Amino acid sequence: MMKSWISFLLPDDEYKESKILYFFSEGAILLFLSLLVTFICSRFISFDTETVLFLHVVLFVVYVLGRYIVSGIEFTSIATEQEYQKELKVILVKSAGFTAMFILVYPFISGLPVSISEGLGIIGFSTWAGLMMFFINFISLKRSYNRNKELI
Amino acid sequence: MENKVKINRLELPITQEQLAKKVGATRQTIGLIEKGEYNPSLQLCVAIAKELGKTLDELFWEVD
Repeated sequence: MMKSWISFLLPDDEYKESKILYFFSEGAILLFLSLLVTFICSRFISFDTETVLFLHVVLFVVYVLGRYIVSGIEFTSIATEQEYQKELKVILVKSAGFTAMFILVYPFISGLPVSISEGLGIIGFSTWAGLMMFFINFISLKRSYNRNKELI
Repeated sequence: MENKVKINRLELPITQEQLAKKVGATRQTIGLIEKGEYNPSLQLCVAIAKELGKTLDELFWEVD
C-alpha cells in the first residue's frame, strides 16, 4: 500500500483497494467534468449556488457508492447458498434495527411529534430509510454472491 | 496471467479462506488470482508462494 492520507478510507485487501481507488478516481473525473460544464453554463444561466453544490456532492457520492454496490466486492466470503441465506438474515435484522433506532432517535433531534400525522411521517420516513438500507445491502450481497460462487 | 496456485493449494490441501487469512487477502481475491482474473502484487505473490511452500517460478512462471 502506498503512503497517502486517503489510506484510512481503503481496505487492507489489495484487490479491493485498487477497485475502490478506481471508483474514487472515476467519481473525481466525473465531478471535475460536471463542475466544468456548470462553470461554462453559469455564464449563460443563473444557478442557485446551494442547489448546484448539493447536486455535485450527490453526484460523487451516488456514483462511488453505486459502483461499489454493483461491483460485488463488499461480501468477499459469501460463496455458498448457505452463507448467502445466513448473511441475508443478518442484513434483514440490521435493517430492522436501523429502522427502530431511527424512530427512537429522530424525536431527540427534531423534537417530539405534535400530531399523529407527524408521528406517522417519522415512522414512514424511518421505514423508507430502513428499506433503502436493506435494498442497497441486498443488491451488494446478491452481486457478491453471484461473483464469488464462480470463483470457488 | 496463468498460474498454478489452485493446483498447489489443493495438493496441501487448504481452502481459499485459509490461504486468504494467511496472506492477508480475501477469499474473493484468492479466487480471482486462481482464475487468472487478477494479477497480484509481487508482495502478495511472495506471500502465497511461501504459504504453499513453492517458489515464484513454480507458481507464476509459464514453463513450456
